[in-house]
Amino acid sequence: MITAVRIPGSLASAAEYAAAGGWIMAGGTVVMAQVNNGSVDASELISLRAAGLSGIRVADDMVHIGATTTFREVAELEFLADAVRTIASPSIRNLATVGGNLFVPQPYGDFAVCLLALDATVHIAGSGENRAAKVGEPLARGEIVTGVSFARPAAGTWFYRKAMRRKLNSAAIVAVAAVVHTEGGVVSSARIALGGVAPRPVRAVSAERVLVGRWLDAAALDEAGAAARADIEPFDDAYASAWYRTRVLPVHLRRAVLR
Amino acid sequence: MASTVVSLRLNGRPAEFLARPGTSLLSSLRDSLGLMAAKRGCAQGGCGTCTVLLDGRPVMSCLVAVETIEGASVRTLEGVAADDGRLDAVQSAFLDGFATQCGFCTAGMIMVAESLLAGNPDPSRDEVVEAISGNVCRCTGYASIIAAILDAARRKREVDVV
Amino acid sequence: MTSLDKTFFPGEQRDDFTVIGSVTQRADALGHVTGRTAFFEDLTPPGLLHLKMARSQRHHARIAGVDLSDALAVDGVVRILTHADIPNNLYTPLKLIGVEPDDEPILAEDTVRYLGDPICAVVAETEAAAYEAVARIRVTYQDLPAVFDVEEALAEGAPLVNEYQGHNYFTYEGHHCRRLRFGDVDEAFARADHVFEWRYESAPIEHAPTETTGCIVVPQPDGRLRIHSDTQACFFTLDNTALILGTPFNKLRIVGGTVGGGFGGKVDIVVEPVACVAAMLTNRPVKFVYTRYEEMQVSSPRAAERIYIKDAVMNDGRILGRKIILYVDAGAYARHSPYGTTKAAAHMPGPYAIPNVWADCHCVFTNRTPSSAMRGFGVTIADFALESQMDRIARALEMDPLRLRLLNAYRDGDMKAHRKVAEGTALIEVIQKAAAMVGHELPAEFRRMSSAEGR
Repeated sequence: MITAVRIPGSLASAAEYAAAGGWIMAGGTVVMAQVNNGSVDASELISLRAAGLSGIRVADDMVHIGATTTFREVAELEFLADAVRTIASPSIRNLATVGGNLFVPQPYGDFAVCLLALDATVHIAGSGENRAAKVGEPLARGEIVTGVSFARPAAGTWFYRKAMRRKLNSAAIVAVAAVVHTEGGVVSSARIALGGVAPRPVRAVSAERVLVGRWLDAAALDEAGAAARADIEPFDDAYASAWYRTRVLPVHLRRAVLR
Repeated sequence: MASTVVSLRLNGRPAEFLARPGTSLLSSLRDSLGLMAAKRGCAQGGCGTCTVLLDGRPVMSCLVAVETIEGASVRTLEGVAADDGRLDAVQSAFLDGFATQCGFCTAGMIMVAESLLAGNPDPSRDEVVEAISGNVCRCTGYASIIAAILDAARRKREVDVV
Repeated sequence: MTSLDKTFFPGEQRDDFTVIGSVTQRADALGHVTGRTAFFEDLTPPGLLHLKMARSQRHHARIAGVDLSDALAVDGVVRILTHADIPNNLYTPLKLIGVEPDDEPILAEDTVRYLGDPICAVVAETEAAAYEAVARIRVTYQDLPAVFDVEEALAEGAPLVNEYQGHNYFTYEGHHCRRLRFGDVDEAFARADHVFEWRYESAPIEHAPTETTGCIVVPQPDGRLRIHSDTQACFFTLDNTALILGTPFNKLRIVGGTVGGGFGGKVDIVVEPVACVAAMLTNRPVKFVYTRYEEMQVSSPRAAERIYIKDAVMNDGRILGRKIILYVDAGAYARHSPYGTTKAAAHMPGPYAIPNVWADCHCVFTNRTPSSAMRGFGVTIADFALESQMDRIARALEMDPLRLRLLNAYRDGDMKAHRKVAEGTALIEVIQKAAAMVGHELPAEFRRMSSAEGR
C-alpha cells in the first residue's frame, strides 16, 4: 500500500528517497498502472516531476535528452519523430518519458531499442559518483537515470521500423532500429537493435557481421535478417507467437532499411 | 499515511481537495470532486475512457498521481458545454452524428477531439485517427466518431469565419 | 423516410412505419455527450466499502486451508467473507427456468475448479487496503488433475470437473447430450456420391466491454438492498440474487439499464450476490467491480466449440444427409452453456432442407473459465462451421458456392429436422439480392427460385 508520494525538488533528494526503497516514477504510465491494481511492492513513490531532469539539448550533433522528457517532446527531434509515433498513443506520449521507457519490459520499450541502436550513453546518478552506462545495464538501489545522450546519426544512416497488429498504439511484433553507414553503396558499419523478439532489446550482431562489406541490397539484408535469428530469444504473447516473430524478422529488417 | 491537500484549476475554477497517497487524478475527480464524466475502463492506460486535458493536453487521468500535479489546470467533459448548457461544436457533432452508442468512451473521445481541434482546426482523417488511437470504442463506432470530429472541425471553422 | 425494397414478397411488407427509415435521436445521447449519463459506478454513497476477491491460483485443487490472519490485520479491512457467510452458496443461474443442478458456489467451499475461482471476498475501507489484504490471504492447495479439452474430458478416466454435475457433461432429460434425429443419415451416406467430413474449432471469445462488470449495493432504511448494477439482465439478476440470499424478491431493488458495453455477456450473476451479503453484514454500501484483468481472465467468454460435420452429397450438389458432433466447452460450471448448447442443436443443420440429419451436441465441463452468454451464443460458431462446410463442398464439387446454397436452401413448407414446418424463410431471396448487388451472375433457373414455392 502506498503511504507517501515524494516529490523531491532536487536529484540529490530523489536519490536519498530512492536509497530508502521507494519506487521511482516519472510519467506514471508504468508505475501508476501498478498502483491502481495494488501490485506495487513498495510503500513510497518518488516522483521525478520536480527534479529538473526534463529537456533536450543538441550541441555539435550530440543529443542529450533528460530522463523525464516526454515522448511528445522527443518527437520534436525530427529524425526520431517517425519512431516516436509508433510508441503508444498521443495521450500516453504526453506523460510517458524517455527514462521510464528504459525499464519497460518487451514487447514494449521501443525507444530503448532506438537508444541501443544509437549506442546511447545512459547517465546515472546515485548516492555515490555519477556514472555512465550502456542501454540495458541494471541499476543499483538508489540510482536514478538522469538522461541519455547519443550522437545524432548522419543524414540517411538512421532506419526504424516497427511491425504491429494495428497501425497505431500497439506493441512490437518486431521492432528494428539501425544506424548503417555505407561508402560507395558498400556497408562500412552497421549497428542494429531489435525489439519484440527477446525479454530485452537486443543487438543483432550476427546481422551486422553479414552486412559489413556488402552491397546494401535486398539479398544482403535477407541474409542478415536470417542471421539475426541467432540473436533473439522470442516469446509468445497476445500480439504474436515466438514462431511468427522469428518467421517475419528478416522481412522487417529488410523493410526497415529499404523501406 | 497522511492525505495531501491538492489545489487545481478545474474547468476554469479553483478546486481544493484531499488525496490519499498514490491517488490518481481520475479517482480524485470521481470520488472527491463528484465529476463522473471521466470513466475507469481499465485503470491501466489502455482504454482512454478517463482522458482529460492536463494543462491543455490529453492524458489518461488514471495514470496521473494527483499529488504531483499541484497547481495544474485540468479540463473535463463537464467543463466543455457553456455555463448555460449550450453544447460546443464537438458535443453537437457527436449528438447529431450518432457518434455515441453505450456512451462509456464518449467523454474520452470528446476530450481528445477538443485538444486536437484547439491545435489543428482542419485535421485530416489520419490525424483524427491518430489522435483517438489511445481511446477504445468497444461498440466499434469509430467511423461515426471520426466523422463527428471532422464535422466538429467544420462547424468550428464556420463559426470562426462568422 | 427511406422507402423499403418491396421486390420480394409483394403484399407482405408494410411501408407505413413512422420511425423505421426516419432519423430519430437516441434517447441517451445528450447524457453521453455531456457526461451526465449515470453509470452504476458514478455513485459515491457515503461510507462506501470496497470488495476485492481472492481467487484460485490453481486450475483444479482441494483447498487444504485458508489463513486470513495476515489479511485481517491490514489497516482498513472491515470483513472477509467466506462461503460460510453466503446463505445459499450453491446456485446455477438458469434454475429460474428449471435447469438443475445447482453446481457453482458463490465462494469456494473445499474445491476450486478453474484458475480464478472466487475463494474469499475482502471488504475494506479503501481499494488499496482490499488489494493488500487479498495479497496476504494464504491458501493452501492440494492439486487435482485438471482437464482442458472437451474430448479428453469425455474420455474414460478423465478427472471429474464438477461433482454436482456428476459427469463431465450436462445431462439433458436423462441424455448425455442434446440430440437431433431426423431420417436415416447412414442410409444417406451409403447412397451419396460423395461423403465430406471436416472439423471446426473456435477459441473462447471475451466481450471486453469498456465498462467492467460490477455493482454498488446500498442498504436502505427500510431494510431493502438497492443494487446499482451494469447487468444486462436486471430481473434475472434480482431473482437469482434473492434465491442466493434466501430473501423474498421484494427485499431487493435493482437500478440498472445503463450498460457501458455488454455484448450479451453481462448476464451472469457474478458480483451482486456477494456484494449484497457484504452490504447486509456490514450495513454499509459496498462496491464490487471487476478489474480489467478480472474482466479478461474470469468474466465468462463465449464458449470454445469443436464441431465435426459429415455430409452426404450428390454430384449435382444436393445434400442428402448431415451428421454433426458438436462440443461446447462450458468450463467449470454450467452458467448459460446448457442453453447455448441447446441453441446450437436447434440451429442445425443450418438454413438448408436436408432430409436426413443426426446431431449430438455436448455441453462439456472442463477446468477452464466458465463460458456463458454472448450475442448469438451457440449459433455464431455453428454458422462459422456450417458455412465453411458449404464453401468447402462447393470447392470440392467445383461448383458456385451460391448455387450450392440456393439448391439446398430451405423454403416455406419444408419439414425441418426439429419437426417444425419452415415458414417466413427468405434465404433464397437474400442470396439472389446479394448476388445481384455484387455482380455475381446466376443462371435464370436460380434467379427464378422462390422461398414461397415448394420444391
